[in-house]
Formats: sequence, C-alpha cells, structure tokens
Amino acid sequence: MTRNWWMKLALLVVVAVGSAIYVAPTALNVNPETTKLFYKKKVNLGLDLQGGVYMVLGVDFKKIYSDVVSRLAENVQDDLKEKNIACSLPQNLETKASDDPTFKVTCTSADAKKAFYALVKESHDTLRFTYDEGLIYELGISKLYRDNVREKTISQSIEVIRNRIDEFGVAEPVIASQGTDRLTVELPGIKDVERAKELIGRTAKLEFKIVNDGMSPDEVAAMVSELEAKNGASYKEGAKFSDYVKQINELAKGKLPTNSEIAFEREEGLTAGMGGRVPYVLHSKVEVTGDDLKDAFIQVDSQTNSPEVALRFNAKGAQSFEQVTGENIGKRLAIVLDGIVHSAPVIQGRIGGGEARVTLGQGDYNQKLNEAKDLSIVLRAGALPAQLEFLEQRVVGPSLGADSIKKGAYAGVMGCLAIFIFMLLYYRMSGLIADFSLVLNVLIVMAVLIALDATLTLPGIAGIALTVGIAVDSNVVIYERIREELALGKDPRVAVNMGFDKAFTTILDANVTNAFAAAVLMNYGTGPVKGFAVTLLIGILATLFTAVFACKMIFEWYLNRFEVKELSI
Amino acid sequence: MLRIVPKNTNIDFMGKRYIWVAISTIAVLGSILLVFTKGLNYGIDFTGGAEVQLAFQNSVSVGELRELMDQGGFKSTRIQRLGGDTSKEFLVKFQGEESDLQQVGSRVSAALSAKIAPTSFEVLRVDVVGPQAGGELRKSGFLSMFYALLCILIYVAIRFDVRYAPGAVVALFHDSIITIGIFVLLQKEFSLQIVAAILAVIGYSNNDTIIVYDRIRETLRNYPGRPLLENVNRSINETLSRTILTSVSTLMVVVALMLFGGGVIADFAFTMFVGMLVGTYSSIFVASTVVVLMTEFQEKRARLGKGLSGKPLSKPV
Repeated sequence: MTRNWWMKLALLVVVAVGSAIYVAPTALNVNPETTKLFYKKKVNLGLDLQGGVYMVLGVDFKKIYSDVVSRLAENVQDDLKEKNIACSLPQNLETKASDDPTFKVTCTSADAKKAFYALVKESHDTLRFTYDEGLIYELGISKLYRDNVREKTISQSIEVIRNRIDEFGVAEPVIASQGTDRLTVELPGIKDVERAKELIGRTAKLEFKIVNDGMSPDEVAAMVSELEAKNGASYKEGAKFSDYVKQINELAKGKLPTNSEIAFEREEGLTAGMGGRVPYVLHSKVEVTGDDLKDAFIQVDSQTNSPEVALRFNAKGAQSFEQVTGENIGKRLAIVLDGIVHSAPVIQGRIGGGEARVTLGQGDYNQKLNEAKDLSIVLRAGALPAQLEFLEQRVVGPSLGADSIKKGAYAGVMGCLAIFIFMLLYYRMSGLIADFSLVLNVLIVMAVLIALDATLTLPGIAGIALTVGIAVDSNVVIYERIREELALGKDPRVAVNMGFDKAFTTILDANVTNAFAAAVLMNYGTGPVKGFAVTLLIGILATLFTAVFACKMIFEWYLNRFEVKELSI
Repeated sequence: MLRIVPKNTNIDFMGKRYIWVAISTIAVLGSILLVFTKGLNYGIDFTGGAEVQLAFQNSVSVGELRELMDQGGFKSTRIQRLGGDTSKEFLVKFQGEESDLQQVGSRVSAALSAKIAPTSFEVLRVDVVGPQAGGELRKSGFLSMFYALLCILIYVAIRFDVRYAPGAVVALFHDSIITIGIFVLLQKEFSLQIVAAILAVIGYSNNDTIIVYDRIRETLRNYPGRPLLENVNRSINETLSRTILTSVSTLMVVVALMLFGGGVIADFAFTMFVGMLVGTYSSIFVASTVVVLMTEFQEKRARLGKGLSGKPLSKPV
C-alpha cells in the first residue's frame, strides 16, 4: 500500500472514531452526569420529539411607536418653550397607533419655522420631517431611531421573558428573535401552556426599594451562606428562583432588621461567591413603582463623556422620588424587576423635577455603555411593557414525543436494513463496502448534528432517511459505471479507477444542486422545513466523503490485498 | 451478476416523445385544474386555527366526541380518527377567532371531563396558529420552493448548458405540481411538513435528472456525429438500471417510514413516495424530452436563418 493510502486511512479512522465519540452518549443513552465517557453531550431533541411548548409572539410595534412619538413630541414642546420659538404643538400629544405615527407643528411665522427647523436638525436627530407646507411641519421618528427602538424593545422583551421563564423552572429554554417583530419561545418538557402564557404575558413589575445599610454586604453574604449551609437550601439550576428566595427569607426571619427582606442580584457567568447571586437586604417598603416611571433612556454626559441612564417620572412618581431621595441621601436605591435586584445606585442628593440620572461606576466607555443599555432595558421593561401577542403556540405532550421517536427510529432502522440487504444481494462484496459507507454516513451526520448543537426533529429524521437514499444513489452510480467498464473487458483495477473517476462529476453535480436547494430551505424555511434542510445539508457533505473517498479507499485495499482477478460487484 | 435491466437494453424513449409530452401535459393541467377547483386542503399551519390531538384509554366514537365538543361550546369542529377504526387517538380541529382558541387545550380538557374521567384521556398535542402567522407561513413555504427552483435553474444553466436548464426546471415543476395535484385529489391535509417533503422531492428528482443529463453530455461529447435522438436514447438506456435501482432502494426507506413512522412521518413519507414515483418518471421522460425539443426548436430557427441563440446540440457541448 502506498504512503498516500495510509494517509487516507488515517483520515478515515480519525473521522470514524471522532464521530463515534460524539454519537456514543446518545446511542448508549447514558446519563450525562454520571457517565465516564470522554464526551458527554447528547443530541438535542426538538420539541416534537421530547414534548414541550413552542410559542411565537408578536410585538405590537404600532403601540410602541406611538408612545415614542408622544414622548419625543413632549421633548420638542419643552425645547420650544425654553428657546422661545413661536411654534406650537396640538394640545393632545397622544398619537394614534400606527406604523409611522406623526405629529404636527404649527408655526406663527416663517422665521419661527426656520428656527424650529434648525432646532430639530441640531438637537432632535431622533425625528424626521414627513410633511412641509406653509407654516406647518409634520414629524415622525427618524429611521435610525426607529431601528434603535425596535432593537431595544426586542432585547427588552427577551430579557423580561427570560426572567419569567426562570420562574417556571424550565431546564433549557430557548428565547430568540425571529424576523423584525417576532419572538420564539421554546420550553422543553413543559405541558401547561396556559400557565406559561400567563407568566409570559403579564406586565413586568418594577419597584424601587431602599437598601438597608444596617448590615454590610459582607455580613449579608455571610448570613445567607450560613443559612444555606445549615439548611441545605441551595439554589439548583432549573428550580424556581422565587421559591429559593422565599425559603431564604423564611429562614432568615428574626435575623434580619425589622421590615426588611433579602433579594438577590443575579449575574450570569459569575461563579465566584454565591454562584452568581449577590444578596441584598432591602427595606420592604416599595418607594416608587414602575407605573410612575414614564421612560428610561441612555444619554451621554456632555462633560464627562460617559454614558448614563436618564429616568423620567410622571407627576406622582416625581413627587415620591423627590421625597425618597431627599430622605435617603448617601444610601443605595435598589432597582428591582420582578423580584430581582438589577442595580443599586447610591443616592447623591435630592432629585426633583421628575428627572433623574443614574451614573455608572467603573469601566471604560464601552463597558459603561453596555451597562447603561442593560439598565435602561430593565427600567423600560417596567415603564413600557411591550404588547406581546400570541401568534402561534404548539404543545406536544411528552408521550406523543416519545412515541414519535420510537416510531421514527424504528421506521428509519427498518428502511436502512432493507437497503443494506438489497445492496448486499445486488452487489455482493461491493455491496458490503457500500453498506459500510452508509453506516459511516449516518454516523457522521449524527455526530455533526451533535457537535453543531443542532436540534433533531421529526423532519430531521426524514432528512437523514433521504440522505441514506442519496448516499445509496452515489454508490449505485459508481458501481454501475464500474460494471460498464468491466463489460468493456477492462481489468478490475482499471475499471474501479475509471468508474470512480467518471462517476465523480456526476455525483458532484447532483449533490451540489441538492445542497443549493437545502441551503435555500435553511434560509427561507421556518420550523420543520429548516430542521429538514439542516440534516439534508450535512448529509450531502457526508455523502461526498463516504461514497467517494471512503469507498474508493476500501476498494483499493480490497483489490490489493486479495489480488482480485474478478470483481464481486 | 444480478441485473435489473438486461444488458444492451435499447428502448426508443425519444421516438415516442410526443406521447410523454401529452401524458405530462394532461397530468400537469389536471393538477392545476384540481388546485383551482377543488382546492388544497390547507392545514392550520396555513389557515390559522387550532388542532388538538387526543388519546383515550377506552374506545370512543366520533359521534360521542362531537357531542362533547358541542356541549363544550365549540362550533365548527372537525373530528378525525387517527390510524385504523379501532384507534383511540383523535385529531380535533377548530376554526374560529384567534382569541377564542387561545385556551383551547384547557377548554377541550374541561369539555371532555364532563363525561370522561380526566385520568382516562390525554391531550397529546395542541397547535394554535393565528391567521396572520398562517398567512406568513404559507408565503415563506411557497417562496422557499420558488427560490430552490431558481437556484437549481441557474446552476444547471452554468454547469451544463442553457438548453438543459429549462428541462430540469420543467421536470421539477412537473413533479411538484403533480404531487400537489394528488394531494388535492385525496384531500390530504397540506401542512408545513408537506412543503418540506415536496422540497425533498424536488431535490431528489433533480438528482435523478442531473445524472441523466450528465450522461447525455458525455455521450454527445464521445459520439458527435451520431443523431441527437440516438445519443439521448442511448444515454437514458445506459443510466436506466441506475435510475431504477436508486428509486427502488430509496423507495424502500420511504415505504418503511410510511408504514411504521406514524403520524407526521407517515404523511411526509407518503408525499415523498408519490413525488419520487413522479420524479423518476420525469427524469426519464420529461427532462430529456425537453432538451430534445429545445434543441430541435433551436436548430429549426438556425436553419431558417433567424439567428442562433446557442450551439446546435448534435455537436459536442
């Protein structure tokens, strides 16, 4: 055997063994936590196979845009007053819900109009002119700001939904945006769709509470650790977080200052200390609620050039906020969303006028900007609950899922077996080689699915079945070619070589066109169509490897080893 | 050596090309007619609505179930037994306003509990699709079919020759339309999964077509002097055993899925079964016929001196 052949063998062995390592946990159905296997991850099963809830939510942007326009109009009105420009806005700034809501500005003179135009261009880049006639302008949201609002709303909604789903205790929820105004939520293993919807659909609860400084942060942390250790009350992934908080508060009774409670800040990825949880002792009294917050947005301080979050309260909120800040100078104000502390800035002084700024701690510009983004999302979640609409919901019971896997796998195995026997009967020795390459093919497809963290769905199983069909086809094309060459009286070695060579372009063309189709499906398709396309695409690549590369290599070995005079094909 | 197709088979496929044109034209037109008269039986993926799959421990009749649904305040339900006559699984479909259907799962449970103990039935699956989402799913489903066809058209045109491309696409169009036609005929439900299955058929049938084309291209190159019809005929005959073998082996998998897969998989497999039969036919009889017709048309134009839009096919490509 040539050096080249050994290299090929090495590659084949690496691919086969590598695939086997990835597939082993799934095939042996091991428990990932106790297994001694080197690789532990099992294939992700789609909701149709394991049961669970799938929902598509639409965000009502019309309502959001009209809220935004009303707010921007208010800002313009304030500016007009301040700069003494003789233009006026309608009495009622509420705009109708629409895709592109606008408001009118009427000026008293051409000069005023010019001044107004300059004002908008200079300090209101969130607006754009939509209409201009006589002394009247009409303004709408600028494209850039519109995209910004859209993006922010989507990430805010995802954040809010994620918080609430944590409440539900789902092991691996998937929350993602789809298109420009959709969210998809996948909750594996959950059957109670009504409860899930109720939880997701309700408005976020934003509260401001004063941090009790009777205990230092270290004391609080020490106390919580002690309570956990003594009572075995640690928080486990997938459990309800609120149950844990309740339990800790129960246990801490008597140890806390009066009218106080423990709440946690949660930081993902932070494993030090309490496993990503930072405990706070808060005064139980809710000082200001999210209902009184009108808006929260990021702005950049012109003097220090650092991003900060600006808050705007309504009249009632402004009053309570002024009182609270006046009485608690130097203390920390915790911002609590759905029971979880998100930030606890120090109150620098009495804040009147209904407008507050939260400046951010250390870090460079980008870190501060990200922090500001996160905080404004949390605040807005309380201020402007996005209207979520349930567009699609699918619930698959776990027993149906299990049944689907069983039947799907059984049918797949039966089909493959039929092909194996057929190939063996029809092509004999060569059929055996083909069968080997088919097994390798399925193995590779499964391994790639697992390695890519892709999800196996019912249509995905069908995609694998089709892959087997395509792979068999490649073998048949090659073998029929070899038979033709043999019929012309060629030596087996030459016939095999020519057969593979001539069949190669055919197989390549056929697979490339299929790959195109699969790629299109992956981009345009949704749900089942996509699951099918992913497995098909992987299958096509695997076919090129097994049918062309692996088979030829085995043929070379077979022809050399047994000095074949007559090919069994 | 086992052979499905005898050695040196020489069937004159192209001599009877007008017969194939006639058969396919009738089938395609018939399918289109069916789509427009009888209409596709769209599932809730495309129309919006709700669907609940139920399993009972004791046998229940469709009539009893309907009565319970009526008492539960559901209007216009369609009830269907899944599987054989003795099956205890049912699919109940609801049409109606989206807001009415939001709690359909728990409402169905409540309605059933009036007569049946909650422990002896199970809600296996609940699907609710809003009308807006339905419309969009339909659009994206058909768009993906369209783009897949377009990509194949362009690839074949570049890789082979402009004259091959229409044949490939006509064949795929032919296959998908006839498969859809058979769906209409049987009034089977047309869902997102079925769109995926038809796309699989497009991919499969295209695979078949390319392999025949590839051989035609090769034969034309090797025997430039021979008449076109003979070359095409010979190519189809030479690849015939491969075409049949592949179809048979893949059909084995599909039939296994159809028989044992159950539910969604069975429907998916049925679509592929029909599509692959049509696809195998089209790659032999339709795709090559269109190449021959295209070439004849071009050569006629060339002879009449009306300009040449491509090289004559009787010369190597």
